[in-house]
Amino acid sequence: MIAALTSLRPSQTAVPRDIGFFEWFFDADTWTGTTGIVASLQDTVILCAAVTLVAVAVSVPVAAILAHLRRAEVSSTWLVSISRAVPTFAIAALLLPWSLERGWGFEPWPIFIALLLLALVPIYLNTYTAIRQLPEGPVDAARALGYSERSILTKVEVALASSLIFSGIRVAAIQVVATEPIRAFLGGDGLGRYVRDGFGQNNNTLVIGGIVLIGGLAALTGLIFVALERLVLPDGVRRLTRQQGDTSP
Amino acid sequence: MTTSTTRSRVVRLLAPLAVLGLVTASCGSDDDSASNSNEPATSEAPSGNTDPATTSEMTDGPTIQIRGQDFSEAITIAEVYGQYLEAKGYPVEILTPAGFRTEAFDGLQSGDFNLIVDYVGGTQVEIAPDAASTADVDEIVANITDPLQALGLTLLDYSPAVDGDAFVVRGDSEASTISDVAELDYVLGGASQCPERPQCLVGLEDPDIYGITFADFITLEFGPLLGEALANNEVDAVIWNTTAPQITEQGFKVLDDDQGLFPAQNIAPIILTELLEAYGDQLAADINELSAMITTDDLLAWNTETDIEFRESDEVATEWLKSKGLL
Repeated sequence: MIAALTSLRPSQTAVPRDIGFFEWFFDADTWTGTTGIVASLQDTVILCAAVTLVAVAVSVPVAAILAHLRRAEVSSTWLVSISRAVPTFAIAALLLPWSLERGWGFEPWPIFIALLLLALVPIYLNTYTAIRQLPEGPVDAARALGYSERSILTKVEVALASSLIFSGIRVAAIQVVATEPIRAFLGGDGLGRYVRDGFGQNNNTLVIGGIVLIGGLAALTGLIFVALERLVLPDGVRRLTRQQGDTSP
Repeated sequence: MTTSTTRSRVVRLLAPLAVLGLVTASCGSDDDSASNSNEPATSEAPSGNTDPATTSEMTDGPTIQIRGQDFSEAITIAEVYGQYLEAKGYPVEILTPAGFRTEAFDGLQSGDFNLIVDYVGGTQVEIAPDAASTADVDEIVANITDPLQALGLTLLDYSPAVDGDAFVVRGDSEASTISDVAELDYVLGGASQCPERPQCLVGLEDPDIYGITFADFITLEFGPLLGEALANNEVDAVIWNTTAPQITEQGFKVLDDDQGLFPAQNIAPIILTELLEAYGDQLAADINELSAMITTDDLLAWNTETDIEFRESDEVATEWLKSKGLL
């Protein structure tokens, strides 16, 4: 009878408590259906990608322009300390009733905004410091060659700083992936669902499965960004970075 | 708890009594035998609890450690029982609430604490999961008494106070019984335990019981979030508890469980048999006396104070005990 039920509604199959991790992980049912790993992974990846993209689109231009103009230095250093104390869960939980009252539902806004605040800071800071600390030589040379200020910013400063900017994006993306599972505790799903259900059902296999999946995705994100860096960065910058790496003490 | 630690605790607790010159021959029983129940002091304690010297004589025994599950009603209940026993003169420690039912039983068996107050239907799910779910409280008590005994635990008298499962919908819902929901294609919200419980989603979907097909099930943290989700149309029904104050506060209604899916959920203390034997019948009698006084309305009132008015559980418990003349 239970078997008939589960075939009717694969979305809510209860996972037995005594099942081992590998048995669970390699069971085809674990991966399919609306509560399966594939669907959960998709939820998580889409949200994380959206958050990271918006964070890049906002942080990089703002930080680059401010750094070019040598503005907002004090507030940027302040950001360093604040960035260590963004209570993502609290922000999302506070936004939740507000979102529900407006009929926007549990998702995506509360968790999106909370994660965005988390991601903005490392990208902003890396971009700002990278451009601010560039050697003056190349910038002066470009100016002497008649580059407009706008060209100096995009063709010289951002290009030379791109390696550091990219590592800021990488750090932000990994943080977002590792933090996103809190949405499962706020009416959402995603990979965090396994940890949540595992706690609720006192099922350690589910908790461990969730941790492995979340940790694995975060590690994979780091690797993907290393690969992306090789593809995207200008050859000259990579050579420069390598040379600096060789000569620096 | 080993006998040696019990004994050393007894000796430690006896020391101040010796200084006060209150030690009588009867207090020399450090073998945890049930002879304590024959002490004259125990029978005096209920009436003479205004005199600290009289009540402190009850401290001849192991500390009663009570821990509530981590939700407001259970926390208040633990405070009520803890403060009551303290006033009776027992050495009591009210531990910081943590975990839910599974952790409560784990903790009892590992000796982290020795008294809990649970809901009988919930206890059956945990201790005798194969026994049939029933709305008859005495049947449940019969189902769980022996399995508890086997674990070294004793079920004390259940209270008339009930906090059962509730199928809650918005006030404007067309349904009046759970069976009506079968026609309505509802989205159900509930805690993460619900999908695996026979008394929850499994039973609601079981064709032999309700056979409801829900449009979706959304996992929500048990508590006020259920009400938020229901009020804002994110879900059409939630599995909550009957004493949730938000049900009347937010104009929801509880549907009639016409197929008798939800078990009886009277609150009942569960105590380590070893501790009960250390004190004899008096402790059981004292606890049963309190259990008999708590009503469902009291639970609702406590929850309103803690969840709607955001008052502290220990204050709510103290006030209630005072109003009943127990403190």
